[in-house]
Formats: sequence, structure tokens, C-alpha cells
Amino acid sequence: MLFSYLLVSGITTGALYALIALGIVIVNKASGVINFAHGELLMVAGFVAWTLHVGLQLPYGVALLGTVAIGFAVGVLTDRIAFRPLANADLVSLVLATVGLSFILKGTARLIWGGKADYLSFPPLTQAEPILLGPLMIIPQQLVVTAGALAVMIAFAAFFRLTTAGKMMQATADNAKAAKLVGIRTDRVYMMAFAVGSLIAAAAAVLMAPLTLLYPDMGFLLFVKGFAAAVVGGLTSLPGAVLGGILVGVVESLAGGYIHSSAMEVAPFLVIMAVLIVRPTGLLDFAKVRRV
Amino acid sequence: MRLNSFASAMVGTLLLAVAPAAAADAPGVTADKIRIGSFGALTGPGYLYGKLVMNGVEIVFDEVNAKGGVHGRKLELVREDDRCDPAGAIGAVKKLIYQDQVFALIGGGCSNATFAAREEVEKSKVPLLVFASVHDGITTPPAPNIFSTATTSTIESYAQLEFALKRGAKRIAVVSMRDSWGRARYEPLMAAFKSKGVKPVADEEVSPDANDTTAQVLRLKAANADAVIVLLYPKPAAVFLRDSAKLAFKPIMIGQTGIADPAAFEEQVGVPGGTANFYTISMVRYTPDDPAVDKWRKAIEAKFPGDRLSVFNLFGVGSAQVLVEALKNAGPDLTREKLIAALASIKNFETDTHGGPITCSEADHRCHKSPAWIRKEPGGPTKVLDVTPVSLN
Repeated sequence: MLFSYLLVSGITTGALYALIALGIVIVNKASGVINFAHGELLMVAGFVAWTLHVGLQLPYGVALLGTVAIGFAVGVLTDRIAFRPLANADLVSLVLATVGLSFILKGTARLIWGGKADYLSFPPLTQAEPILLGPLMIIPQQLVVTAGALAVMIAFAAFFRLTTAGKMMQATADNAKAAKLVGIRTDRVYMMAFAVGSLIAAAAAVLMAPLTLLYPDMGFLLFVKGFAAAVVGGLTSLPGAVLGGILVGVVESLAGGYIHSSAMEVAPFLVIMAVLIVRPTGLLDFAKVRRV
Repeated sequence: MRLNSFASAMVGTLLLAVAPAAAADAPGVTADKIRIGSFGALTGPGYLYGKLVMNGVEIVFDEVNAKGGVHGRKLELVREDDRCDPAGAIGAVKKLIYQDQVFALIGGGCSNATFAAREEVEKSKVPLLVFASVHDGITTPPAPNIFSTATTSTIESYAQLEFALKRGAKRIAVVSMRDSWGRARYEPLMAAFKSKGVKPVADEEVSPDANDTTAQVLRLKAANADAVIVLLYPKPAAVFLRDSAKLAFKPIMIGQTGIADPAAFEEQVGVPGGTANFYTISMVRYTPDDPAVDKWRKAIEAKFPGDRLSVFNLFGVGSAQVLVEALKNAGPDLTREKLIAALASIKNFETDTHGGPITCSEADHRCHKSPAWIRKEPGGPTKVLDVTPVSLN
């Protein structure tokens, strides 16, 4: 019975890590930059969701849509203000810009929401008690969050496969020069990558908020977990990011349940190290594995 | 006649010259003023244990000054921000002692910061009365010049176990952080378990930044714990109580002064009924809305417009009353040595706020050993339940 509880809990947390990882991978695929401000984008989105749902008393669904829209806009602004001016700069400058942005976002959050309380609480999505189905314990709250995360992933996959913007993003990621030659505005694609990455962070924040608490320093730890998941998946593989996220979540949960709670923080990173030793390019990044 | 007048004038002049000179022997003391320094967080989330407690100290000083001061000297409070940071606390006490030349100190909000400043204060021999920091290392082993009116972590840990046993708990578990704050409570708690011949049924760890404690709750649930001693900061504690509610785990939850405001904590947990079984320790025996502290409520509202009386103000009120009592007992020829001796001699002194009488001694500078238990009923007011006097002997 304990195994099923821990597995479901791990999958829920892992699905959220997977969303964070997806955002990191999208930006990395398009621009070659790891966005160190990704955790802070998520944090700001969490506070925006709190303002809409708790502050303005809007229904959860409306808060979700509003936050995702604002997340998209923040992504566009991020590209315009922080990255577009550095388009021709070297990689180190771009990475430093993301670090700088993370501090700006954290400071802004402290300025706007910092004085309200140490931590802000987002109401749970459902008050229902756990449901026992034989040996399986279903926690309604986790079920809703997991379903939400899956819906975001499916919508994202559809965007990539079915829309012109998605196909242009894929083409640019595969070969930016060739994409430019066939007339794709790669600068717009980069902007779209930041915007979509930020949008997914916003969706993850709205889904995660009812499970945890909101505070300005929450972003970095979540970024580390999402980044670890992205690395396991190969850093440029979208399905790999999803797999990596779920792996990190499940390992964390099972280690906490079967070894000891003190093992929760370190166990996923041990697994990641093991994965990277066996497959240095990540679990699903087959393209880079070359026999010599 | 002329000679007599001249002699009288000379004696008078000499007396006038000698009186301030005697007072000036003690830094921070003049004929009409005693300068007292205070350090703690004035900014950031730790301001609850710093700025608000200092506000409580200041209203006591105002009351004393309005009545003519202590032996004719008015009390002046000089504040320094330590930002809840160890390096900040060392800098703050150095500034107060050497630059502002204060006579004595009353302060110490965040435990780790105050603990870091201990060495500097001890070296300076300036008397310090700690008003909020609970770290055992601040007063144990005792520094000759440092006393505390805060319930220390050992006292609280013993009180937590005592409370669980008094409530009839048979299967007591522990959930703790293992940073320096957590260890300062965890180790004495384990000693308390040992001294009572009780073994915890589960012993779980939560990181200060935890966003999910499902695994810990499941392990505690599997151990069938009927009481959980919570050695966590408010944030991980709120996550833990949320997850407990989510998993329908409803034992008695026993907190400590790290979670001193049950109303704010109920909001942070944010799950209706999530704190129904939560009890915590307060250093003071009144909640801010109790009529017994009306006088102090009015004083806070008058002195700091826009502020509402909080338990943290009440920590400061009680602590300042102890300092004032010691200053009175030290006599008009004030020296730091006399104040230290007076603090060590405080016996069964009842403040307007603390859970029990304040008693210090040469050997034990933990002067407050009567933590009060408080609980907020869901949707109702916070109530003080009882006081647990702790004997560590």
C-alpha cells in the first residue's frame, strides 16, 4: 500500500518537475542558453495566480488562464528587454543576463508581495479526503494536479506538431541557419521560445501552488529540480524532459518512503549521476550517441 | 561667614563635579540618562522577533521615564538592525558597545544571529538580557554577563514531550529540521525522551525548503503516531500540516515558539481544519486580545500608529520589566558589575506577560522556564490553555 501512495505522489511531483524541465529545454533548444531565471518566472507566476485567485477572488480556471497569459507576456518582455539586445553577444553574457533577470524578478516579487506574510498560502483545489480503491489510495488533489500537468504536456505537444509556429520553432532548433535561409524569422522564433517557456512555467506554478506555499525564494530549488530532470532527458529532448521529471519525482518520493526522509533531497541526484555515467547525453538524446 | 560661604560653595561645586564623574565611570550612564542598546532584525521577515519586540521594550521604557526613570535616570533605547544574520549581529553589537557606548544590551531575535554575537558580548562584559532568541548555546554554558528571558530550546523541547504525555499520547513521533536551529531543539528532545524512558515511534526529517512532505506523512501514518512533535520553521510546518490534512492524518501536532502566531499559521496552512489539532508554545501567557494586556495594547497603538499589539510586543514588555527591575536593584551608583549581580539575583519576579515567574541564578542564566500552551480553534480566537513549568534538574 505504501508503494502505491509513494508512486502516485512521486508521479504528481514529477509531472510538475517535468513541466519545469520542458520550459528549460524549449529555451535551450531554440537559443542554446540555459535560462537561470526559469525558477523565478515560475515563482512570479505563482504570485500572480495568488493575486488573481485569492486577492481578486477569481475562479481557479480564470486565474489559470490569466496567469498563463501573463506568463506568455512576461516571456515576450524577457526576450525583448534582456535577450534581444544581446543577440550577438557570447554565450557567457547571455547566461549572465538570465542570472541577472532572476535577481530582478526576485526583488520585484519581494517588493510587491513580500510585505504580506512570510509565505502566502494558495487554497487547495479540492477538500475531498483520500479515496481507497483496494490497495490504492487516490488523493483527489494529486489527481487534479497530475491531470492538469498531463493536459499542459498534451497541449504543448500538439502546438509543436500541429501549428505553424511550433513547426518553425522545431525547424530553427534543428538548424537555425537553414531555417533563416527558407525565410523563417528566427528572432521571432527565439521570442516565441522564451514566451512558450515562460507560459509553461506559469502553468506549472498554477498547478503547483495549491500543493505548496508561495515565497520569493522558492524559484531556485524548483529550477534545480527541473534542470536535473532536463539533464537526465538530454537537455534538448522534450520527451526526455518529461521522463526525467517523473524519474526525479518518483525517486525522491520512494527514497523518502523506503530509505529515510533525509534521503529525499540527495537520492534523485545520485540517480542522475548514475544516468549520466551510463548515458552522458541523457536518457533520450539518441542523436548524439555515436559509435566510433 | 565669608569663609563658610566659600567652603560651602567649594563643597557644592565638588559634589556636582563628582556626581557626573561617578556616573561617567560606567559607559552609557550620565546623571540623567542610561543608554541601552538593542539588536535584532528591523527589516526582513525576522522583524517579528526584532523590531516588534523592541517596540514592546520601548513602551516599558516610556512608562518608566514618565514616572521619573530609574533612580532619576531616563532610559534611552538605541536600536541596531542585525538582519537576522550572524555577521550582522556581530557588527550590530560591536557598534552598540564601542561606537554608541551603551551601558547594557537587551535584544537578540534570531537564534543563530544572537549565538554568533555571544562571543563579542561576553568579551565586552556588557550585560545582555536576551528577549527572544531561544538557542541554548546563548546561555549554556552561562556567560557571566548574558541572561535570557526567552524560553530556551531545551526548555521548549522538554515542555513539548511533557505536553504530549499529559494529553495521553502513547505513540509519539518527531518531525524535525536538522540545520543548526533544528539540532538545537532535536538533541535536547531526544535527551528528554531518554530521561522519560519513552522511544519515539518515528523520527522524520524535513528540509527547510521542502515543498512536499507526503513521504514523511506516510511514514508517520504507517507508524500510527498519535502525537507529532514538530521541530520545523513555519513554512515547512505549514507544508507538513497541509500534506497531513491531504492524507487524513490527524494526530496531536505539537509546535514550539518558532511558530508563535497560530492565527498567521492557520492562514499559511490554508486548509480548513488543517490546524485543528495544532498546539504551540508561547513565551507569554496572554494573547494580544486579552483584556489583561489592554494597557500595553493602548501604549503600542499610541506610540506606533497603525500597529496592533502582537505577542512579539509582549515578549519585549516582559523582558524590559526584568531589566528595569534589575536596574532598580543595582542601585543609584550604577556599574555593569552591579547590574550583572542584580540580574543574577532576580527571583520569582512576575512580569505583566511571561508564562511564569522569572528566576535567574549565578549558575543558570535561563531565567524563564514556564512556557505557555496556545491553540487557535478553527475560525475561533487563539486561547492560552495552560503553562508547563519545566524542571531540568
